[in-house]
Amino acid sequence: MALLTVENLHVSYGGVTAVRGLSLSVNEGEVVSILGPNGAGKSSTLAVIAGGVAPRAGRVTYAGQDITGGRAEEIARSGISLVPEGRHVFATLTVEENLAVGTYMHKGKADIAGVLERFPRLKERRDFPAGRLSGGEQQMLVIARAMLAKPKLMLVDEPSLGLAPLIIDQVYDILLDLRRQGMSLLIVEQSTSRILKHADRIYVLRGGAVQLEDTAANLRDGEAIKRAYFGFDEGAA
Amino acid sequence: MSRFQTPLLLIFGMVVLGGLASLIGSEQLNFTLTEMLIRMVVVIGIYLFVGNSGVMSFGHIGFMSIGAYATAWMTLPPEWKQVMLTGLPVVFQDNTYPFPVAVLASGLAAAGVALFLGIAIMRLSGLAASIATFAFLAIVFSVYSNWESVTGGTSSVIGIPTVVGPWIAVGFVCGAIVAAHAFQVSRVGLMLRASRDDEVAAQSSAVEIVRMRLLAFVASAFLVGVGGALYAHFLGVLTTDAFYLALSFVTLSMLVVGGLQSLTGAVVGTLAVTLIVEVLRGLERGLDLGASHIALPRGSQEIGLGLALALVLIFRPSGLSGGKEAAWPRKRG
Repeated sequence: MALLTVENLHVSYGGVTAVRGLSLSVNEGEVVSILGPNGAGKSSTLAVIAGGVAPRAGRVTYAGQDITGGRAEEIARSGISLVPEGRHVFATLTVEENLAVGTYMHKGKADIAGVLERFPRLKERRDFPAGRLSGGEQQMLVIARAMLAKPKLMLVDEPSLGLAPLIIDQVYDILLDLRRQGMSLLIVEQSTSRILKHADRIYVLRGGAVQLEDTAANLRDGEAIKRAYFGFDEGAA
Repeated sequence: MSRFQTPLLLIFGMVVLGGLASLIGSEQLNFTLTEMLIRMVVVIGIYLFVGNSGVMSFGHIGFMSIGAYATAWMTLPPEWKQVMLTGLPVVFQDNTYPFPVAVLASGLAAAGVALFLGIAIMRLSGLAASIATFAFLAIVFSVYSNWESVTGGTSSVIGIPTVVGPWIAVGFVCGAIVAAHAFQVSRVGLMLRASRDDEVAAQSSAVEIVRMRLLAFVASAFLVGVGGALYAHFLGVLTTDAFYLALSFVTLSMLVVGGLQSLTGAVVGTLAVTLIVEVLRGLERGLDLGASHIALPRGSQEIGLGLALALVLIFRPSGLSGGKEAAWPRKRG
């Protein structure tokens, strides 16, 4: 059963159209990825799902409820957690305080100590201001904070952006771990190789619309993705 | 223990300051000290909102005005009120209330107005909210300047009992420090500081930013309203223009010089700016060196304060406190 469905989404900012007629779905326990070049409408799609950006048209349904255009904090409360692009830590707060914010909707009862066990590097630096962590540590912190909200669906926007390959592997290890615990994931990426390994299904976006949709298994050779990604015609290139 | 070291250190500092002033026993010094401490209550109040939420407010002196006049209505002698403030409700005209009740009620009056105002403007984005607070200040000023039957208009209200001296002021500063510290380490305070650092991330943790800001705004207005009431009971005389641009500039300078993001900054900034202003005020009066009399031109205070503000913003943008809280030096190893 689909946990999240997006139907015929249109998003524009001022006069600029970012998304035109996009539809996608994420089933329970599934890892779905949105691939596409810059400006394809990936982040806009996540922003609409997570709330705070109202679409011009279209509908977002989560667990049977219409959540289109809802407020970000309400949508978070309903079980969707956004890991925004660009490592949004609370820079002046300590690592531990950052995590405490993640427990907000559970009135602080979520298990910070347990989460710290899974992130030894964060545990070591629990009293550090988050702004002084390395890029990789900040990305881990944001994911750890999102975990503490105990979401059913995590939206992850470009988790590998600007990170060293070794760190990216660690980030994906954690994401896959979450999936094993039954969490659904919708991951936006620009690089295809890792996603092909880890996702169940893939949407390739270009120009604000879905160019290609298939299971990762069917797309494994990467040729179809390349064509959809760059917009080459059949036979050309 | 370590959790409470910041308020304890700050309170200790204030008590020492009060003690020193008592030992010296100069009337002028006591006057300056009391005025500074009252301003410190106000600055701590402004900090509670601005420091934690990251939203600048240019309007808090309006709450000070509301607090000051509220306590005047409650504590002036009835004969005076019946003649001069004919528009006051009969409850106020016929009665006087004791100082503690009046101060508390003044804080609550400011908090009530803040709740009403805050519901409207806390939804705005940071900058728009700041401008709206400034509009609020202008509205309070023109209403109070023109509502003669209730505020005396542009003529002074006189005869408010002057019960506030240095030790009462020290007591209220300590109360304000405890309140502001308790707020900032509370759950609401933490969520608000998170939203100050990153709104998007706070919302995706389900934090209701508008509600958190509103709570801080109301609590902050309460402290500032109390500060206004103390000011009334310190001077004994009120005029509406005492609570307008000049005082807004001084109090915000105190906050910025000390550092917007820490309680220690609010305290240190008030001390530092008072020191600068007092030294310059002294120099404006002039020094006698042998036969010659040297004095700075009038207006040097404001220029000096402006310079200090600019220097801090250029060389130490997070203020004298650097955004950190007072703490014992940490043991190493």
